[in-house]
Amino acid sequence: MSHEDRGAVLGAKSLDLKFPRHTLVSLLVFVVCWEVLSHLAPTLGIPQFAIPSFVKIAKSFANITAADIVVTLARVIGALLVSFVLGLALAMAMYRSGSLEKYLHPMIRLLMAVPVVSWILFAVLWFPGVEFRIGFVLVVVCGPVFLIDTLDAMRGVPRELRHMMRSFRPTTLQFFLKLMLPAIVPSIFTSWKVNISLAIRVVTIAELVGAVTGIGHQLSVAQELFSVADVFAWTLVLVALLFLLEALVARVETRLLRWRA
Amino acid sequence: MSGPPPIEARGLRKVFHQATTGQAVVAIERLDLSIAPREVVAIVGQTGCGKSTFFDLAIGLEAPTEGSLRIGDKSPHADFDHFRGKIATVFQQDRLLPWRSALDNARLPLELIGLAEAEQHDRALTWLNRLGLSSFTSAYPHELSGGMRQRVAIARAFAVQPDILLADEAFGHLDEVTAAELRETFLALARECGSTAILITHQLEEAIGVGDRIVVFGKSAKLLADIHVAQWPKARYAELREMIQSTLQSNSPDPRLSQG
Repeated sequence: MSHEDRGAVLGAKSLDLKFPRHTLVSLLVFVVCWEVLSHLAPTLGIPQFAIPSFVKIAKSFANITAADIVVTLARVIGALLVSFVLGLALAMAMYRSGSLEKYLHPMIRLLMAVPVVSWILFAVLWFPGVEFRIGFVLVVVCGPVFLIDTLDAMRGVPRELRHMMRSFRPTTLQFFLKLMLPAIVPSIFTSWKVNISLAIRVVTIAELVGAVTGIGHQLSVAQELFSVADVFAWTLVLVALLFLLEALVARVETRLLRWRA
Repeated sequence: MSGPPPIEARGLRKVFHQATTGQAVVAIERLDLSIAPREVVAIVGQTGCGKSTFFDLAIGLEAPTEGSLRIGDKSPHADFDHFRGKIATVFQQDRLLPWRSALDNARLPLELIGLAEAEQHDRALTWLNRLGLSSFTSAYPHELSGGMRQRVAIARAFAVQPDILLADEAFGHLDEVTAAELRETFLALARECGSTAILITHQLEEAIGVGDRIVVFGKSAKLLADIHVAQWPKARYAELREMIQSTLQSNSPDPRLSQG
């Protein structure tokens, strides 16, 4: 087999591997079941509007506004970046200082135990600006997750590597930049994946309360209009957004972690 | 040429406290030891005799409980930053950073001492070439064999051209042929660079084969014997080995060692 042939075979194999056969089959089964249920709804005593057909849902897609998607996306990405920077900085400080960790850790656990709805109510009561409210809720929910994940990952860096690094006498900054941060990159990606999903869910709830833009607001409008088709269409947009962001993170992850066996 | 400073341990004592029980464990008990510049010293001893604690004290990661360990007129622990780029280590496991290529691993200590980018690259490349890794500079650690990884670790240590090289059981985990080859390379390079080399090992053959001196540690790093290998003809190496073995087993110096 020539070099080109081998390349072609490998190319075909990788194409084959990338084809999401299982995902498509399961989605198709869901669509068929939904459609059947939609047609049978009246005979089952369920109102027709509760399970709209895909034709109706497809029509709802015409009402999807790009501006709302962009606004929600910007809120999610902005808040995730702020949460990540704050979480990482605090994790580094807590890793360096045992006493700081002892004081902060219970507080972080407490923050994580507060339900999202409570944070939304606090935000509404405390802050007048809608954007700040949404940002606050997202950061207060996602920040501690980044913090705990990165702190745990730092603690998990093998002692042997830390010992080797210290034997070469790095400065504190070098120790973090050359060892700790690269070592926790895989955990950081895992944390991002978890937080993207969390942020998409939280932003929707936060936008339901008081926002006049964004997917959450559009869901609220759809609910007021009793339009299940619109709710379904916007929900699909949210799910697609989540998959898109996860795919982007996975792509960057593959690129940055190509050193892994 | 100034050369590396001497190493002096005086009344060196190190006590650890167990985290769970708080019980004190004496790792090193009043050790006196002098190592001359450019000397190659093998430290042998049984497991738990304080060899690795001595290693950590010598590289400055631990502070003595009592007594002193000085390199020249400075303490490797108290004057930690002074020794940046002057002390290098090779460990039992290669301890390479898995996300860095062989070249980037070898240049790590050069980055830490703030050398110019081009010089980092050239120096790391030179040392990898000298260690026979010219075709593997871009390879990640998982793509290299155990022997090759240890070669990268040796290149990393030599790249800073250190005054003092410490190797902790650096060849013990490799097969005999690879270990012997690497040991020879390591020693040749250490002598060529004029570095003081301290090799910590539990293998007597290795100690006799490499050291100008063999320092035998008993329990709690008690100095049981200090042997100048040059004084022993090669024909008596088997006998020497047996004497060291008996010293280690009885935890007291074999009388034949003082007779030479």
